[in-house]
Amino acid sequence: MDADPLKQFLQAEGATLVGVGDVRRALSQEIMHLGRGIAIAVNRGLTRDTVDLLMRLQALTEGWLRAKGYRSLSIPPDSDRRMGKMISKLYKLFCHKTAATCAGLGWIGKNGLLINERYGSKMTWATVLTDAPLATDRPYVSSRCGDCDLCVRHCPSGAVQGHLWSLGDPMREIVSYDKCRSLKSGRTSLREKPNCGFCVTVCPYSRNGGEQQKAG
Amino acid sequence: MADEARKKEIYEKLRTGVIQYDEDACREGAQEAVSEGLDANEAIFDGLVSGMEEVGRLFEAQEYFVPEILMCADALYAGLDILKPHCKQMDLGVKGSVVIGTVEGDVHDIGKNLVKMMFDVAGFTVYDLGRDVPLDKFVDEQLKTDSELVCLSAMMTTSMVGMPKVIEKIKAKNPNCMIMIGGAPTSKELADKWGADGYAEDASNALKEAIKMVAFLKKLRDEKIQKK
Repeated sequence: MDADPLKQFLQAEGATLVGVGDVRRALSQEIMHLGRGIAIAVNRGLTRDTVDLLMRLQALTEGWLRAKGYRSLSIPPDSDRRMGKMISKLYKLFCHKTAATCAGLGWIGKNGLLINERYGSKMTWATVLTDAPLATDRPYVSSRCGDCDLCVRHCPSGAVQGHLWSLGDPMREIVSYDKCRSLKSGRTSLREKPNCGFCVTVCPYSRNGGEQQKAG
Repeated sequence: MADEARKKEIYEKLRTGVIQYDEDACREGAQEAVSEGLDANEAIFDGLVSGMEEVGRLFEAQEYFVPEILMCADALYAGLDILKPHCKQMDLGVKGSVVIGTVEGDVHDIGKNLVKMMFDVAGFTVYDLGRDVPLDKFVDEQLKTDSELVCLSAMMTTSMVGMPKVIEKIKAKNPNCMIMIGGAPTSKELADKWGADGYAEDASNALKEAIKMVAFLKKLRDEKIQKK
């Protein structure tokens, strides 16, 4: 099933990147039937407006699929902050980075973030899972970070260790989230901005990438 | 007071709202039911629950899967939240309170939440202990609230083994309390062996059992109304 009409439709509605991946290997029992992941990204920071835009794109995707008789499940961009609903239990079963790498839109960098060749890590992602047999894009199976270790050297907490991601080695911890988190919580208690973001700003892909749209 | 046709229309809106997991439609339908002075209990049963019965059927027919069920449940709650404050306490001869939770060591609570939902629509007072609940907490809570029903849920065999201990303790202190167990590893045999009064093996099965229970309550209510 041709995915290009859907991609063009979503891009016309404001999506920066749209890709389709075969995500069957990453699915748990409850969502086993939804074998395709549609990764949608916009090159904007995670703000209220960005979330609204992505959720509108997801709703359009759902409608497009439903009209053709297929099921879907949207994982919202800020899925970790959505709680209290029955459906939000399922959000943590799937991660946006998986859809994005399977859909060939980037790899997991040494900084643990999804890196797109053109836009770096300055993207906000949303995923729609579906049982529609859409044609898939070529997935990334390994890191393209190479020898670059800028994020390793600039990380103030020592959380970024320089490991290369590969699809065949999913159990490896690429970033020590405990270290990253303890730095953040220390900063919060000092009333500084909690996020440091060095690992994004020093990344050559993020720096060279297209100028990020100002949200709003 | 709205006429019969309008009433039907509103109930249909609630019903299809649940089936098509349209939270806005459920909210709107519930709002209309309230503002037009319809009986909230009736709107719940003939609208929302009737929709959920169809959802249960669609799930059995494998047209709906777990994500759809949960979205339907969210839609049902969207309507229920509005209708609930307008419900008269159902006078069915049962006091109706239930202690429910997922036993110690287990964090899977989808099935438990679906069962809880059906108790909510049936007008029970639900004491939801959440997930990964220490075994004694069930016993204490039952004594404290004097609930006539306790529901234990577990997805894993490792956590399920805590169930008979809870059942034994509750039955020792309060032999009249009904106990239901649920979750993938449970079975009719285990329920019998442990002295539980009912069982449901998965979310859909639990949903079906709970729908049956609510449908039964509804029948009682209808008979009562007819007698009047």
